[in-house]
Amino acid sequence: MALSREIKERSIRRYKEERDWFKLNLEAAELLGTEEGELSARLLRILLEAKERVVDAVENDKPFIGGYFCNAPEIFTSMGLPWFMVMETPFLAASAPFILEDIDGAEEMGLGSDLCTAIRLPIYYIENNMMPIPTCCLGLIYPCDGAPMLHQVLMHNSNWKNVPLYSCDPPYTSDERAIRYFADELREMTRFIERHTGAKLDMDRLVEVCERSNRVYTIWQEYMEVRKNVPCPHGWEMGGAQCFAISQCFDVGNPKSVAWFEQLIKVAEDRIRKGSGAQTKEGWREKVRLFWFDIMPYGWIFEFMPWLEEELGAVIVNDMFGNFPYSLIDTSSEETIYYDLAKRNLVDAPMIRQARGTAENFSEDIRRIVRDYKVDVVIWPGHMGHKDGAATVGIMHETCRELDVPFLHVGLDLFDKRYTSIDEVKDKVVTFLEGHGFV
Amino acid sequence: MSVFDAYIRKVAEYVEALHENGLEAKVFSRPGAPERISGGLPVRVGPNAHRGIILRSDTYLELGNPLAGSCAFVLWTDRSSLIEDGRITLLGPDIPESAGESLPFGQVLIMGGGGLSVKDHESLVQYQYVSDQIEGYMIKSAPDRVWSRVGKEAADRGFDFETLGRALMAIVKSAEPRVEAMEIVFLTTGKEVVQGLEKIAAQIRKIGKEIVKENWKIRGYDIECASDCRSCPEKRVCDDIREVIAVRKKGSKGKDRGER
Repeated sequence: MALSREIKERSIRRYKEERDWFKLNLEAAELLGTEEGELSARLLRILLEAKERVVDAVENDKPFIGGYFCNAPEIFTSMGLPWFMVMETPFLAASAPFILEDIDGAEEMGLGSDLCTAIRLPIYYIENNMMPIPTCCLGLIYPCDGAPMLHQVLMHNSNWKNVPLYSCDPPYTSDERAIRYFADELREMTRFIERHTGAKLDMDRLVEVCERSNRVYTIWQEYMEVRKNVPCPHGWEMGGAQCFAISQCFDVGNPKSVAWFEQLIKVAEDRIRKGSGAQTKEGWREKVRLFWFDIMPYGWIFEFMPWLEEELGAVIVNDMFGNFPYSLIDTSSEETIYYDLAKRNLVDAPMIRQARGTAENFSEDIRRIVRDYKVDVVIWPGHMGHKDGAATVGIMHETCRELDVPFLHVGLDLFDKRYTSIDEVKDKVVTFLEGHGFV
Repeated sequence: MSVFDAYIRKVAEYVEALHENGLEAKVFSRPGAPERISGGLPVRVGPNAHRGIILRSDTYLELGNPLAGSCAFVLWTDRSSLIEDGRITLLGPDIPESAGESLPFGQVLIMGGGGLSVKDHESLVQYQYVSDQIEGYMIKSAPDRVWSRVGKEAADRGFDFETLGRALMAIVKSAEPRVEAMEIVFLTTGKEVVQGLEKIAAQIRKIGKEIVKENWKIRGYDIECASDCRSCPEKRVCDDIREVIAVRKKGSKGKDRGER
């Protein structure tokens, strides 16, 4: 049964507010007058275009998808389908001014304060008809136990009850057999999307999109190499999060994303040649190189990261989303494309890589990143929702001890600054860095 | 006898087969102590010998880009007699003759020492990723593969595979004195030649993962769930629930819900 105009309008209201928040951000970025400001502005324009495509689809009854970055979005691009991420607000818009109000709303619903905020928020939006209702939806039954619960809510909500849902089944292991199994799941997912949207997958188009995506990932890797430099050419403001947002969420396999990455590497290489660090202020120097092993704290990033970098000279040289374990997609046949997409989405994608896989991934990634990026301190923020990671803190700690690199476990909510106050987080970080003689 | 002895032989057989098929092999030899091995090299070797990074514009050649072909692994044994100390074998073009190229790259480091055991496996494997220890040589940060660059300046000074091999040997022997003998194989020709090595590498990685798992277990950590559905005593309960769900779905009118 078709949704009423009123339900549709309400479902898109918050999404439009989010879009308008980013429009405001774009105006600010355009005023910066720096190359990094221009990069941010271009990113925001790409983001806004993605959001407009979804708004257009809702308002004009065009097919669109609810999904995730780890559902091989190259396939959506190839089919010409707009899509949004069911967890989009916490992942990509947590700095929006209404976020705390919505977290409160989620708590008032009875979701409490212990369930991951990235899960609580979309549940709140779905239950209050504040999320676009797609033609069909792709679920995420990994990497953590909370994710399936979100989709159970979605299945039982009255507005979503006619939205077909398909969730790829993720094997536990990461060997060849597991990847082949997951490739078949992605094939089935493609058939599901075709069936419910009427769009068809054109293999030639998929090859084209994957090749462009390969170009993007090649430059991304080059950019991450550049970040190994001492001093690191960029800090928290530009890095893994932005690369992830463009390559896996807002503009997958499109020419604009290639152009954005080409500009990014050019700007970073120029900074290396000039010997510039993350900050160009006179007298500032990079004192300590940090590996922030999680999502950036986007709910309160502007109140924390500038302080960390400007005041302490502590630079985030890599984070969970900048971690680059990706391999390129072999576009020589349908078989190889699906196999490599399966690997990328089952084994490589951030958070999925860590939380779904064996704990060895935590240890191995720390080992490689500390060595390659000359990391002085590993920070495990200890997001309240990352209980999977909490179970491996001991392994991370042991690994860091072996590498002789200090390891800080904070304990916070990446999206809610009231869970552990920013002052408390600052206090923990500064005490730790002082104690180790870095600042 | 160590777990990898059979694979040391397999690598030797693979190299021999390539040679018999007409692939010319260059062999260098520099056995002995680290100082002797690194003496006279055209670049500095050791901690912080290479500062900074090699930008694209400063790159003389690239090795092991996954599109060109890439395979690297470490083998070790407690029987040094299986190894010809100081031997570096190169099959394929050398660095000076490959300006601007992106060559396929196979690299096998083989280490021997009476005191080596499975407890050393993880640290021995790390030696293939010499991040900043060879001047003019940079390894990209990519898991499970060696993808590297040689800088123009180093190439101008005569950096070649003998240099790289000797540098790697000096680094390993300095850091791990229990390595009494070391041998290296480099492959730089043909993606399919490197992929042939990958068949051995896949098995090595599998064994390596088991060793890592066991080493963590000794330290009190399980890095992998030990049980799965096949071994779970409650499997019958889950199977019954699945059957009930299947029956319910059949009777349900919301067909799309049955998608998953």
